[in-house]
Amino acid sequence: MLSSSPGVPVQHFEQFGITHEAVRRLLSTALARGADDADLYFEHLQSNSVALSDGKVNRASTHVDLGLGVRVVVGDSVGYAYTEDLSLEAMLRAAGVAAEIAAGAKSIRPVAMPMERRYSDRYPEGRPWDSVGMELRVGMVRDWEQRSFSLDPRVRKVEVSLADATRHILVCRPDGRLVPDIQTMTRAVVVCTAEQEGRRESSHYNLAQRDDISFYTPERTERLCRKAVDNTTGLFEAIKPPAGEMTVVLAAGSSGILLHEAIGHGLEADFNRKGISIYADKVGKPIAPAGITVVDDGTLMRARGSINTDDEGNPAEKTVLIEDGILRGYLHDEISARHYGVAPTGSGRRESFRHPVLPRMRSTYMEAGPYAPEEIIRSVKKGIYCSTFSNGQVQIGAGDFAFYVRSGFLIEDGKLTTPIKDVNLIGNGPKVLESIEMVGNDLVIDEGGWTCGKDGQGVPVSQGMPTVKVSKLSVGGSAR
Amino acid sequence: MSIEQLWELARTTLKDAQGMGAEEATVSLSRQTEVNLTRRAGRLEQATQATSLSLSLSLLVEDRFSGHSTSDLRPEALRSFLQKAVAATRALEPEPERRQPPLSDCGSSLTPEQLDLCDPSWEALTIDQRRDRLEELEKAVDALPQRSQILSATCYHMDSSGESVRVMSNGFEGMQRGTGYGWGTSITLSEPGGRRPEATSWYSSNHISELPGIEKIAQEAWMKAERRLGSGPVDSGRYPMLLDAPITGRILGILAGPLSGAELHQGRSFLAGKLNTSIGSKHLHLMDNPLIPRAPGSRAFDSDGLRAKAMPIVEDGVLRNYYIGVYYGRKLGMAPTCGGRSNWILRPGSRSPAEITKELPKCILVTGFLGGNSNGLTGDFSFGVQGQLLEYGVPTKNLSEMNVSGNLADIFHHLQEPASDVWTWSALRSPSLLFDSVDFSGL
Repeated sequence: MLSSSPGVPVQHFEQFGITHEAVRRLLSTALARGADDADLYFEHLQSNSVALSDGKVNRASTHVDLGLGVRVVVGDSVGYAYTEDLSLEAMLRAAGVAAEIAAGAKSIRPVAMPMERRYSDRYPEGRPWDSVGMELRVGMVRDWEQRSFSLDPRVRKVEVSLADATRHILVCRPDGRLVPDIQTMTRAVVVCTAEQEGRRESSHYNLAQRDDISFYTPERTERLCRKAVDNTTGLFEAIKPPAGEMTVVLAAGSSGILLHEAIGHGLEADFNRKGISIYADKVGKPIAPAGITVVDDGTLMRARGSINTDDEGNPAEKTVLIEDGILRGYLHDEISARHYGVAPTGSGRRESFRHPVLPRMRSTYMEAGPYAPEEIIRSVKKGIYCSTFSNGQVQIGAGDFAFYVRSGFLIEDGKLTTPIKDVNLIGNGPKVLESIEMVGNDLVIDEGGWTCGKDGQGVPVSQGMPTVKVSKLSVGGSAR
Repeated sequence: MSIEQLWELARTTLKDAQGMGAEEATVSLSRQTEVNLTRRAGRLEQATQATSLSLSLSLLVEDRFSGHSTSDLRPEALRSFLQKAVAATRALEPEPERRQPPLSDCGSSLTPEQLDLCDPSWEALTIDQRRDRLEELEKAVDALPQRSQILSATCYHMDSSGESVRVMSNGFEGMQRGTGYGWGTSITLSEPGGRRPEATSWYSSNHISELPGIEKIAQEAWMKAERRLGSGPVDSGRYPMLLDAPITGRILGILAGPLSGAELHQGRSFLAGKLNTSIGSKHLHLMDNPLIPRAPGSRAFDSDGLRAKAMPIVEDGVLRNYYIGVYYGRKLGMAPTCGGRSNWILRPGSRSPAEITKELPKCILVTGFLGGNSNGLTGDFSFGVQGQLLEYGVPTKNLSEMNVSGNLADIFHHLQEPASDVWTWSALRSPSLLFDSVDFSGL
């Protein structure tokens, strides 16, 4: 199955027989019917996990993925094919299939000599995950389990998992760009089930970052266990809040899910060039109160959503979406950048070699404002304060979005009172933006393992937010 | 790789794993060819075509369990992968409950021919025929009388063919194969104020002949999008809710988690201890049936290799079975039923949705969900919804920016009447469902 093509080997992919000559031949085949552009995306992923339940470290898994995706672009049309077989014959076949999107009428674009290019490294490789023995991993999850049990006698069950992934990628372009990257990721999850007076509650906490095993410092792992326990035991006193429109204060951190759903997806340029986003034709116009600045940033050190290169071989950047309330631009891949006549923003991402590139978010957050969080809470006569969140969803065209609140508090007369849980918040993106009344000075980038879904593809992202007051959102509480 | 080569590689891998120290192993190999086409604004927007091959493996080494998968099937890479997998498994703690079931419990209930999940015409389908189908669909959308009001229309076609083989060290060998077709369209409208409501009509089936015609798909997409024009919330309160048949899975599907052996064992199911007790009204009658020819959830054996069989989940409101696989059966001291859901069949009623709603002064017809989640331990749920306010069956307002909330232990007792309009295009075959009183939040 190994390629027999001779020539200059290509870094990590040398072991699979990939050479500069093979790259040129594949790109030439992809462009052979007269396409405007093409790219090759080689990927080799190794991931591992170990898990504890019922007091035993009793599950482990490994996953290996290897393959090539070939994309051929004609105007804004895309031909795509992939193969897990890296023999030259199989790769040429995939390139030929992807090329069928082109009509074969134009002149053939030449392929330049491949030249490796590297960008700033936001997650320097530390200790390789494949050098971390199973015994060490087993000891870590065992320790987190015992620590969680020790924090509260009401904890009845603890489940723990520790996962890592190391993804080698190589993006090859006809202009000669040959961009490698090593993308590591780790994630730890502690799930607790606790019991009080015959009632049970369950919740969790998780940490994720592009890092090696040194990420798990005593301070972090203490927080991992403590928050998992507190998130669980805090639910015993929680109620469903009343239903209806009310003032909502979003705690700093994972409430960035509001930005992700209400704004971020709608500013992905593919939706806008097709005219199906509610934010189409709004660049340069005010869409939020003055003072609100929202960015999507691929450059945060070791953040889950950070990338050195996007999956089209362009460097990641910090992209200002909304500046002082004015919509400044969209998140672009190369197709949309050409459409709008702007530079790509390094936002072309894909789940794996099996998927074509789309404009995607990386780390989306709102810049800090002037208010202390306590001041924001004090300003609310009656409303809710939302602390922890899970999933969200948006309708790009209508702008309606929703996200789920796992826990929080009622706000009564400027004070946090009764805990609340399990409510869906729903609103309309542009209306909610207009309804932001106060922005806190406490921006936090959430440390959890968020994954964004779009067109059946999941990519790791980060999000952040200072404490924010929204004058009205519909809260899915109890009507009684 | 031919089907014979799939079998050969699966058997060789099993033997190699045993040779390296695994006392038990299960090897599955699957191959899938898939074509996806998207068309917009009069031209092909995206064409994706590929054949994929992957191997998954579970191991029991000295009573220790692990699971693995790889798409790197080069012989030397696979051997190294197996060696590492076996070595990693040894570091875990033993769990004899993971042992495979006896061969006598395993087998295929029906042959692939009896399940009829493969459309023989797939082999002959050409790329030009696929493109032509999609173009015809786009023409049907363009021919809609309301076309001028449509801002954007995207049409989709997908088809696939796949097979998987499984070999287990207890001697079981099984194969599943199937084809799949899907097509549909998404349309976006515009309205004053800048909102651009969108809606999708999408159908899929194992057999191409069972897909509806292109005119139906185009008209349905328009009808769904039109329901979203000028939408907004109404007052919060308790309303009767008619859940549209194609989307009942968003509520019914929540039950799958709390019904599972894993959640029962972890003490995270609100259905724990509820076997043979009432969990809903007499209208809640739910069967799991994996043996329906051509149904998307059909299968000959389950994830443990156990013969697939039909079983009642809820009979006249009374919970009859959980999903208990071999492992959690041993943990819970219960006999295995099956590892997970197949086709869910909800018993229909005798009246149409229109006949039901024309008697109701007010009713919220829910036609779509947006976000939301549930808590399988407490049963609490909260979802964003879209739909229409009906007054004596007549739509009086299109709804959005509203939530429906409740508790699963309560809501099914409010199931007042299933309609007669069973939706047959998914593994959940359900009619529209009327609940007499449900919490909605809006204004």
